[in-house]
Amino acid sequence: MSGTARSMRAACAPVIAETVRRCPDLITLGADGQALFGTVIGESPERYVEVGIAESNLVGVAAGLARTGWRPVVGAMAPFLVRRAYEQLRLDVALPGLPVALLGVGGGLGYGALGPTHHAVDDIALMSALPHMGIYCPADAADAAHVLRHFLPPTRPAYVRLSARVDPPVFRPDGTAEPGDPHEVRVLRGGADALLLATGRCVAEASAAAERCAAHGLDVAVAAVTCLRPFPTDQVRALGENRPLVVTAAEELGHCGLGAAVAEALRGSGTPLLRLAVDDRHPPVGEHDELLAFHGVDRTAIESAVVRALIGKGDHEDSR
Amino acid sequence: MKSFTEHGRQKSTAGRDEAPDPIGISVFAARGRERVLRLAAEKPIHVGPALSVIDILAVLYTSVLRRRSREPHWPDRDRLLLSKGHGAYGLYAVLAEAGVLDADLAALPGHPADGIPGVEAATGALGHGLSLGCGMALGARLGGSPGRVIVVTGDGELDEGTNWEAAQFAAHHRLDNLVAVVDRNGLQQEGRTEHVLALEPLADKWRAFGWRVAHADGHDPAALHHTLSALLAAPGPGVLLARTVKGRGVSFIEDDARWHSGRLTPEQLDRALGELAAGAGTARGAEQEAPGRGPGEVSAGRDVRA
Repeated sequence: MSGTARSMRAACAPVIAETVRRCPDLITLGADGQALFGTVIGESPERYVEVGIAESNLVGVAAGLARTGWRPVVGAMAPFLVRRAYEQLRLDVALPGLPVALLGVGGGLGYGALGPTHHAVDDIALMSALPHMGIYCPADAADAAHVLRHFLPPTRPAYVRLSARVDPPVFRPDGTAEPGDPHEVRVLRGGADALLLATGRCVAEASAAAERCAAHGLDVAVAAVTCLRPFPTDQVRALGENRPLVVTAAEELGHCGLGAAVAEALRGSGTPLLRLAVDDRHPPVGEHDELLAFHGVDRTAIESAVVRALIGKGDHEDSR
Repeated sequence: MKSFTEHGRQKSTAGRDEAPDPIGISVFAARGRERVLRLAAEKPIHVGPALSVIDILAVLYTSVLRRRSREPHWPDRDRLLLSKGHGAYGLYAVLAEAGVLDADLAALPGHPADGIPGVEAATGALGHGLSLGCGMALGARLGGSPGRVIVVTGDGELDEGTNWEAAQFAAHHRLDNLVAVVDRNGLQQEGRTEHVLALEPLADKWRAFGWRVAHADGHDPAALHHTLSALLAAPGPGVLLARTVKGRGVSFIEDDARWHSGRLTPEQLDRALGELAAGAGTARGAEQEAPGRGPGEVSAGRDVRA
């Protein structure tokens, strides 16, 4: 499977191109980053609008295009698309509920050693504050392509967090594990002792952690939550209540996003909940994996959290 | 000469390339001013900005914009964005005079909002209109529509950097169907634009960004019509630097940053309406900026750096 690993951009580009062919009102826009739109530019250059390194204008122009009947697909680096263009996202796109797809490349810590200027652990939180804004955080390249197949052409505003690099595959594109409806919680693995709910890259980390937990004799379930808004509250509650333990893992700020939504879904159920997420510490220089470890949302951290909660700290440390 | 009524209401669907009727437009604008002043006596509003821009909006609605009053969402219409959204009551007054808007204007928000007839997009967070206008102009062109887009900005608003991102975009994409109008009254909230953050040489800046530049007296209907028509007919994006007087038409409001926002006392309203009826507003300040060009003059050639 590793031989077929693709970046989310590589997986999404053909879906975008196919939608451009199929939908005469779809138009694409980029800010000096064309990896998502290479095929579109080759086939229908008039359906790609280059805005240059100017994300605020990028979003404003997309809103203007939407006002004249086009359905824009905007792709740009996540930190700048979300933070730099935030007022345009709010006033020009979200408030009027325009059909604009916003693809943010490099959400989370994916840009690794490029540093905090390029990290976007706040993208989900910020987009969550916008009216009418849908939010998708796919787990791998196949999931990302699947999200776009569901969402394009857009009928409302939504943000899709794409990773910057190649992630470990979670869903197999060969049909053995289709991603399924991205609006549903997808259970990847059953288990009675605990439920790991993860989003984005942390789904792969949670799956690996569950494998390791099996070595401790723990039967841990894993489920992927790709659609963070609207949040599948009822499904999460049905899956999570009456569990001995639920753990959330997400590459985003801890006081909002997946952990907060799951806490709300499980409120009153009495289910023990552990929320693993990114904190405010300034990260060291490091690649994506190292930063996930630093913030305690990688496979090792998830495994430790489960083992500590269910077996106890001493047992876990002895077992390693 | 057509009566005001014919101009403002019954003729609102007419083609917009006919010769303008400056006197009729002036009457139209005066009635709009009266609406603004009466509103300013009801509650505090951005009265200076509304009176500054109202002649520009009156000319656009009476003699420039191609639209259909019975089909407000006609896809091929010309679109107007009041990017300086704090001039909202000037826009509402003009929309009401034009028969587009039938509402209690005092109940409308202080910045144009979605859902108000005649409002193409919510504006007023400064620096958004030109980007939206670029998208609309490009969208019209790509869709094969003859629709044109006019974005009215404030001069202080040009402090916002997104305007210049959009200006660069419009020139690069050769948006022939886009015209910006700068309400160049020389004042912003805290005083003279040149004191707060100098804009001059403003025409050179637009030219350097690849725009055709024109100048006109922003309170002269004939000059505004002439220059707007010329810019819309010319290739590339064009900008009209309209010399205006903030608060134009009422002597004690004119050219005074303290009237950026305010409320009129009943006595002030009486005096203002009296001045309006007498046509006593001066042109003070109209010549203060942008020297060297007469009204309605379009700069020759497009100074584009390849």
